[in-house]
Amino acid sequence: MGRQESTISENKNPAKRAARERLAEERVREAASRRRRRNLTVVGVAVAVLAAAGVTGYLVQNSRSAPSRHAAPAGTTGQGDVVVPVGNQAAKATLTIYEDPRCPACGEFEKDMHTTINRLEKAGKVKIQYHVVSFIDRHDNGTGSKNAANALGCAQTAGRFHDYHDVLYANQPEETDDAWADQSRLTALAKRVPGLSTPAFDACVAKAEYAGWVSGVEENFDKSGYSSTPTVLLNGTSAFPTYNGEQISPATLTKWVEAADAA
Amino acid sequence: MALTRESATAAPTAVGRREVVAQWLGTAARLGLAAVWAWAGAAKISDPAAAAQAVRAYRILPEGLVRPFGYGLPFVELAIALLLLVGLGVRIAAAVSALLLLVYIAAIGSVWARGISIDCGCFGGGGAVAASKTAYLQEILRDAGFLLLAGWLLWRPRGRFAVDTWLAEN
Repeated sequence: MGRQESTISENKNPAKRAARERLAEERVREAASRRRRRNLTVVGVAVAVLAAAGVTGYLVQNSRSAPSRHAAPAGTTGQGDVVVPVGNQAAKATLTIYEDPRCPACGEFEKDMHTTINRLEKAGKVKIQYHVVSFIDRHDNGTGSKNAANALGCAQTAGRFHDYHDVLYANQPEETDDAWADQSRLTALAKRVPGLSTPAFDACVAKAEYAGWVSGVEENFDKSGYSSTPTVLLNGTSAFPTYNGEQISPATLTKWVEAADAA
Repeated sequence: MALTRESATAAPTAVGRREVVAQWLGTAARLGLAAVWAWAGAAKISDPAAAAQAVRAYRILPEGLVRPFGYGLPFVELAIALLLLVGLGVRIAAAVSALLLLVYIAAIGSVWARGISIDCGCFGGGGAVAASKTAYLQEILRDAGFLLLAGWLLWRPRGRFAVDTWLAEN
């Protein structure tokens, strides 16, 4: 409508009008191609940003999670030194125990079974392979599992792993209470194990000397396919809460271990 | 003639008003989805091992791909958040968002179908949980809600306060 009014004068010269229209079309085409180029550039930049973020993120996290210190507690065994061995290494019965220091089910297991396990161990009938895992810190937030796992590593180096292990489970805080985020609680509990509370142990706990080892043990557990603690295996077969269909108890565990050791 | 003129002027106003509403909706969807991705990405960065385990727990990817995805995806999520926040390449960011969300929904559905008990690890955490603690339906519905935002932006990427819009006008 507005065009009709404004083109009255132009109608007088058809050639001029045609040229003007061609020019206008040209301009529209150019604008369209400019828009296309700009859109392509924007898509390219966006894709580049996403790809760069992914690759950079991977590299950064990879270097961050590479353990800076591989120091493992003395006497640990297995690939990556993830196992704390306890008991008669010549015994034919092997108990493999994955436990998280903050895990209440592990606390229950220890309360019910530690006397039996210690008796079998002292009789030389079993070797135990402890995996000190620390995944509760992820679920409930905090650092108590990792701190306690590190302290258990320090106790292993001091040759007092098993006694300190029993003391920790006997004094375990509620799962949601991250009491062991405070490392002084861990060094205080070490006073209950004869010969463990030394300046070297306290420093080992305070400096998280075995932090790299603790992550290595956890990663080994992550990859094991076992997803909960306690995970207890007798010669590779799951023994918690049942072993070949039979419920675990001090009596049945004793029976199973003695049978496996006699085999 | 008067009638024609009136309708000719009234129509663009109505279209214009709808366009303005659409643009503001686009801005809201963009910022909403940006917040979701920023939260999801940031929550997975502090503990790389936990992020890797969250991926591993789905038992879909081979071990060799667990870390690349566990380590890299949170940063991709943050980058999507950044693009959406500034409004650069909104349509491609929305397309990648939709693709990721569809993959996440499919992965959660697959875990659910296989009877594995995990936390989806969508906003940090992840890994095995007790069977009673799984929340697959809620997780899928939540992701489907985010998918709606991404779908809107795929359809109507233009919005206020966006680099895309500024580029188009200059």
